[in-house]
Amino acid sequence: MWSRKSAMLGSLAVAMYLLGLTLRNSQLVTIAVVIFVFLTWAALFGSHADVASSGRRAEEWSGEEGVALSNVSAMRKLSSARIFEDGEVSVTLRMQNHSALGKILEVKDRVPEVMRIKDGANYILMELGPRRETFIEYTVECPLRGFYSLGPVAVRVQDPFGLFHKEKELHVYNDFLVFPKMEDLKDTFVKSRVPKIFTGAVNIRQPGPGSEFYSLREYFDGDSFRSINWSAYAKTGKLMVNERERDAVSDIIIIVDARSVSETGPVSRNALVYSTRAAASLTKFFLSRRDSVGIVTYGDEIVSIDRDSGSKQLYIILTKLAGAMARGNTPLKVVVNRILPHINRGSPIIVLSNLEDDPTVVSALRDFRARNFDVTVLSPSSLEFEFDAKRLDRTGYEVLKTERDVLISELSSLGVNIMDWEPDMLLSTALAGARGF
Amino acid sequence: MATKSGDTSHLYDGKTVRSAAPSRKKLAGQMSAGSDIPKDAVPTVEIPSFIESLLGGPLVPKMKFLPADKMVQNLQLGCYGVLIGLGILTYIVTPAVGTIWFAITGSITIANIIQLMVVIGAVSSGFWGVMGRDARYLLASYVLFILSVLRFASSKVSLSQDLFGFADNDFLLTILVVVYAVLLVMFFELSNGVLRFSMLDTSIRTREVYVMNVKKIVSRYHRSLIINPIIAGSLAMVVLSANTILPAFVSLFSEQTAVRMSESVELISVYGVALGSLFVFLIVGGLFLLDMPTHLQSWRENKD
Repeated sequence: MWSRKSAMLGSLAVAMYLLGLTLRNSQLVTIAVVIFVFLTWAALFGSHADVASSGRRAEEWSGEEGVALSNVSAMRKLSSARIFEDGEVSVTLRMQNHSALGKILEVKDRVPEVMRIKDGANYILMELGPRRETFIEYTVECPLRGFYSLGPVAVRVQDPFGLFHKEKELHVYNDFLVFPKMEDLKDTFVKSRVPKIFTGAVNIRQPGPGSEFYSLREYFDGDSFRSINWSAYAKTGKLMVNERERDAVSDIIIIVDARSVSETGPVSRNALVYSTRAAASLTKFFLSRRDSVGIVTYGDEIVSIDRDSGSKQLYIILTKLAGAMARGNTPLKVVVNRILPHINRGSPIIVLSNLEDDPTVVSALRDFRARNFDVTVLSPSSLEFEFDAKRLDRTGYEVLKTERDVLISELSSLGVNIMDWEPDMLLSTALAGARGF
Repeated sequence: MATKSGDTSHLYDGKTVRSAAPSRKKLAGQMSAGSDIPKDAVPTVEIPSFIESLLGGPLVPKMKFLPADKMVQNLQLGCYGVLIGLGILTYIVTPAVGTIWFAITGSITIANIIQLMVVIGAVSSGFWGVMGRDARYLLASYVLFILSVLRFASSKVSLSQDLFGFADNDFLLTILVVVYAVLLVMFFELSNGVLRFSMLDTSIRTREVYVMNVKKIVSRYHRSLIINPIIAGSLAMVVLSANTILPAFVSLFSEQTAVRMSESVELISVYGVALGSLFVFLIVGGLFLLDMPTHLQSWRENKD
């Protein structure tokens, strides 16, 4: 392929040649001839044998890259295929030259734009000897969740003067997944008043299988010997057993707003980023408490993961959250209407949304409250993100903030546990605020 | 704070349900009295100038170079040397007769002064461009050098200064012109190399690119800097010696025709050069048609 430099030199040579003949100026013709020779020499022996200058038409050429790059291959290895946000992936790229000719190669391993190269380099200029291989190692930092793919590997070979070059894309791809970052939560203050493992509605604060101590009672036949409290037996002379508080095993529904407006703000600081991180943290907490967690994301469509428990469910939810894209503008009301028939009455519902550009928010949450659902809304404030990024001036911010406060008060008066989640606030603090602590 | 009661819907019967906050875009469009859209909210769009779009990109890279390393300094030194030689040769092989300024002014003295100024300007801007690694000055230098050679020459190579009697010997005259042409092309290449290697060096030092085996890469470039001018000069000599080579070839068949050819005005003029270049490039074109570069490359790639 001709570079800009060779194209300009070529044009200059043609112009000089013609001008030389017109003006009968042999100096001009000589300069043109020297330039032509330069170009020809580079094309002929520059170890790249350009397709265009080899006299073959591109469509007749079986290998796009030409001879020079046909013997170059690449392989890639990642240290991990699944990481969390702000995690690092070490990449090892193995470049091989199968030919008997040494090559000067420019190699660029394509890395997704949002990632940062922490160590090493993904762009290398190297001299790769005949039948040699080399390893290129670098580390990328992954600050944002998502499905990512490394590759292809772009390889370029050019003559020493940079007049002609050949490029080839080695289609070596490695996919990996970046899960949302999780915050360790000690308590979410969210418990179902209607646990699900027993038939019928049974309030919690009842003895049952669980992990927390509830009370002591006398031993009855059939009680496990492991639950006998020997200290109490020593004091009272009667066999006493520990009773534990039944865990509030319940269905938790997390609704994540993934509409296009949720991505308002900088790429790394917007409502969707905060919502997915919160959803991941909450899922982990509830699943560790043996609750069943289901998740609903809505944007251009409503995607739900049915309630389930266990570490597999955590992986499924994290994967779904990693792939959540800000798209569409489905109203919350539509989501509520869709999921209402499928969730147990009284299940805690956690909504993660910036509450913007959705006229149905009040009505949708009122529907939940009307059916006695315990609704918690954590609303990452896009206003703050925009204001911090200096994309919103003070007046606009104040006006919008007032409107947002009014909306939040309105939702709060519906009985919704709501918190205006400011960017620097920890999730646990926001949750505590929402639950009135 | 949140009420813990059950059904609260009765509280809102008949109440107007408000929408959420309006979009900021809409608000920004409606706001007045000094509440314009913040400047940084509008993405910066760089529209290339007309010339840049013709050239397919920015003429001058926005990249700031770090101080020159040894390799770049050597190239700069080489460039200065070539510039001095080129300046002298340009002045010698491009007399003011036949230049644009001679045609405009009609005075050989004025034309001489202007021609000298053009050459000095070309050398100075070349120096400045190489020293400051500024492509704009280099471009100006290229243009001035080309401008100085644009002259109506009546097919004959004439010299403004002939201290060593080159004009009396056609072969020496040809060598002089070829050396001049090679030096000009070398200046193009070396000055371009200064910028290219400055960019590379900056990229290496800012860790944008990693270079393995720098010495080998640089030595290949140095080797090419020596080999290519020799090849180009030799081939140009062949082309320019058409008036000698062609009669010599024809003399195999007819001595008389060969003598007539060698004395022919056309063959010793620029048209002879054109004919020579036509022959040479016909051969080169033939090599390309036979796909020699690919065959050569395949052979080199696959040999044991």
